[in-house]
Amino acid sequence: MMMGTHQLFKKNETYNGLYAMLLVNRLQMLYFFLIMPNILINPYMIWVLIAVGLLSQLNLLLLSKWLLTRLSSNGYNGFVQLFGKKLVRFLSFIGLFFILLKISVITLGFSEIVQTFILPSTDTNFLVFFILLLCFYVAGRGVEHTIRFVLISFFCTFWMITFFVFFVFPPIAQLSDLYPLIPMEWKVENWKAVFLILSSYSGPEFLVFLGPWLKTNNKTFRYLSYGNALTVVEYVFLFIASLFYFGSNFLSKTQYPIINMGRYLQNPVFERIDIMMLSFLLFNLVFAVSLFLLLFYGASKIAFGKMSKPTSGKGLLFSVFLIFIGMVLVNELFWKSWEKQNFLLNLQIIAGSISYFLVPLVIVLVMKKEGVKKHAST
Amino acid sequence: MFWKKKQIESKLVTQSIAESELSIEALKKSLTQMDDAEFVEIDISDIRKIHLVYIRTLIDQENLNESIIKPLTNCSKPSIQDCIVNSSIIPNHIFIEAKTKLFSGSVLLFDSSQNLWLAVPLKNPTGRAIETSETETILFGAKDSFSEQVEQNITLIRRRLPIHELKTEKFTVGSMSKTSVVLMYIEGLTNPEFVSTVKEKISEINFDLFFDSSQVAAFLEEHQNSIFPQFQQTDRPDVVAYSLGIGKITLLVDNTPFALVAPITFFHLFQSPEDYINRWVVASFLRIIRYVCFILSVALIPVYVALTTHHYQMIPIQTLLVLVESRSKLPFTPFWEAFIMLIFIEIIKEASLRMPTKTGQTLGVIGGIVIGQAAVEAGFASKVLIVMVGISTIASFLIPNYLMTKANSLIQLMLLVFSSLLGIIGIALGSIAILAHLNSMSSIKQPYLSPVSPFFGKDWVDLFIRGPLVKMLERPEHLKPLKLKRYKTRR
Repeated sequence: MMMGTHQLFKKNETYNGLYAMLLVNRLQMLYFFLIMPNILINPYMIWVLIAVGLLSQLNLLLLSKWLLTRLSSNGYNGFVQLFGKKLVRFLSFIGLFFILLKISVITLGFSEIVQTFILPSTDTNFLVFFILLLCFYVAGRGVEHTIRFVLISFFCTFWMITFFVFFVFPPIAQLSDLYPLIPMEWKVENWKAVFLILSSYSGPEFLVFLGPWLKTNNKTFRYLSYGNALTVVEYVFLFIASLFYFGSNFLSKTQYPIINMGRYLQNPVFERIDIMMLSFLLFNLVFAVSLFLLLFYGASKIAFGKMSKPTSGKGLLFSVFLIFIGMVLVNELFWKSWEKQNFLLNLQIIAGSISYFLVPLVIVLVMKKEGVKKHAST
Repeated sequence: MFWKKKQIESKLVTQSIAESELSIEALKKSLTQMDDAEFVEIDISDIRKIHLVYIRTLIDQENLNESIIKPLTNCSKPSIQDCIVNSSIIPNHIFIEAKTKLFSGSVLLFDSSQNLWLAVPLKNPTGRAIETSETETILFGAKDSFSEQVEQNITLIRRRLPIHELKTEKFTVGSMSKTSVVLMYIEGLTNPEFVSTVKEKISEINFDLFFDSSQVAAFLEEHQNSIFPQFQQTDRPDVVAYSLGIGKITLLVDNTPFALVAPITFFHLFQSPEDYINRWVVASFLRIIRYVCFILSVALIPVYVALTTHHYQMIPIQTLLVLVESRSKLPFTPFWEAFIMLIFIEIIKEASLRMPTKTGQTLGVIGGIVIGQAAVEAGFASKVLIVMVGISTIASFLIPNYLMTKANSLIQLMLLVFSSLLGIIGIALGSIAILAHLNSMSSIKQPYLSPVSPFFGKDWVDLFIRGPLVKMLERPEHLKPLKLKRYKTRR
């Protein structure tokens, strides 16, 4: 049997801080880090990367406060206790839009990259179909196994950053490429870059829904911070490497700087290391989209008042089917046209920033209002 | 309707026999048309008559005289039980119990003067001697392997683990085959959860025939449709003893030399008994080679198809020239070329298993040289592909677990289809599907991908490498042993 009736959201085991750390890190390393240098451009944006990383740290602090409450481990019932049933339904409805937008942007963005660099003659809808099909399979194993898949995703992707070490050594690296480190002027476009960074750091806010599966204690915030710190290091390192490779002047001219840098790498067996790297990145994409699919399915059950009905594989399949139809439409109507794609990217940049900024904040404020205290460490 | 009535009647008859009082007449009635059923009467005095009932083909006839007849004829004690060593009373004269003992190689004795029924085990010891393992051959280390007799197999394990904590619990499965299954574990070390899980699963078995441990495993596995084995099958007592010693359970099944070991993980399938004999650096190197070979065996041909179908740009120019020249006159697409060759290899592999050893060599020559070379000359396959098929086939033999080797071929074919559709991305998608499947699997309710997912950092010392034995001071954490430390006192 592919999936049992109650299997999708069952809770047999809880996962410790290591998983929380990896969840934070891998959810922050999705699509945007591939295009980020192209929008950051100026070397002084390194400081913004670090500053927003610190801001992200604050969000994680709020997030950990929620995870430490007994309500968070109650899942849906915990949210009902906090917000009330009607408001939870309303928020779930809004959440559907955020999840759908996130899934669409990261999947379509990745599919476009695959089409550009690996399979030029393959239609992106065809790629989206296969990616979603696989995500359905992974999500069909249930939340527990999907969370555990983060380890596989991490082991299959984290080492790739070591390839970029070559770019921070001479002859490629010239220290002058890192100047100016202090901004002489602040342009309007820089604000877009700030929001892009904030949106790139988004993703961990979805952990608020994974409370029942996370083993929380006094060290939870520490582990979340490790994950965030790892992301900061990766972002800064990749940005510096891209500055060394392209220089500020040329960085804005390349659409996918990180992948173009990957094209430069070769070995005696394979000339196009970037193709291998993109294939491995698929592990992370599938993990994240699978998790989002489950959240989408759960949120849609709440939004449409179907919580009394047991979860089922058919229900998840129906959600995946709807998302696929939605993504094909978004692809045809928005993504394939450059200007409209920009609109969608901007929308996700704003939506990601808002969700990352507001979700932990609102929850903690309501917690304060309702007088919810954190429970003893487990 | 008539059939149903007949079935009910037959059930009632069987039930009445099962519940009926044990008597010589009842046994005679039950054992009609059985040429090897023997009913013997021995007069040990004028008033005392002993009836012997046994199945000639099941008992040790040479020992019958020494163990039963002689002691009986010389018996002067009031109860014959005192004269015969190893005899046991059949309580309440239960017919079905007597019959079970009879068919498991016991001689039934009936003392009419005392109305006493006894059973004396006298099983025919005929069986294979202890031989060298053929499926898990090693150069160094113990050479003995299990045979078809479960008692002998227990002896081989007990010799290696002479401790009273090593428990053996016997079960019978198969309504017709009455196969004995012995559960072994070390009390106070093995997690009781494993023992109770297996016991529960065994008690739920409802089937008629069990002739092999893999058939028993099929009823205990949690993922019936998976191509990956969830029990390790081994015929090596040293492997079983080591597994027991680190906190696993073992099932020995009568009439089969293969024991079942659980819980296992995907990584256990890559461990060889020799790993713990070789020096750790060598053992680690060989283990890594095995993992690499597994990847080669499943992915080499799909990568070839992906590169030649979708990504010529990935191949360095010198290699590309060789490849283009090699494929220039082929009538098939890379996928069909590879598919045909892989199916052909599977046919050769299967044929070589079924053929006698001497003709097997001929098969090797025909398959490997004649057909391989002829396929290239006839233009059915490229030289490059023949080399790759050779490498991947040899690589697949490095995996110590035979069941895993079989699973390899299916994974390879699956990746082949994906690679022809989406190239390297297809291989990645296929690999994700396999890993997601493995990630969701379990062996007696324990995660199949431990200690990678879930993560147990300390267990990595015996995962991709085999760390120095002196450093492996703790048993694998993912097996949840009750005693984690492997040493007796604090160091």
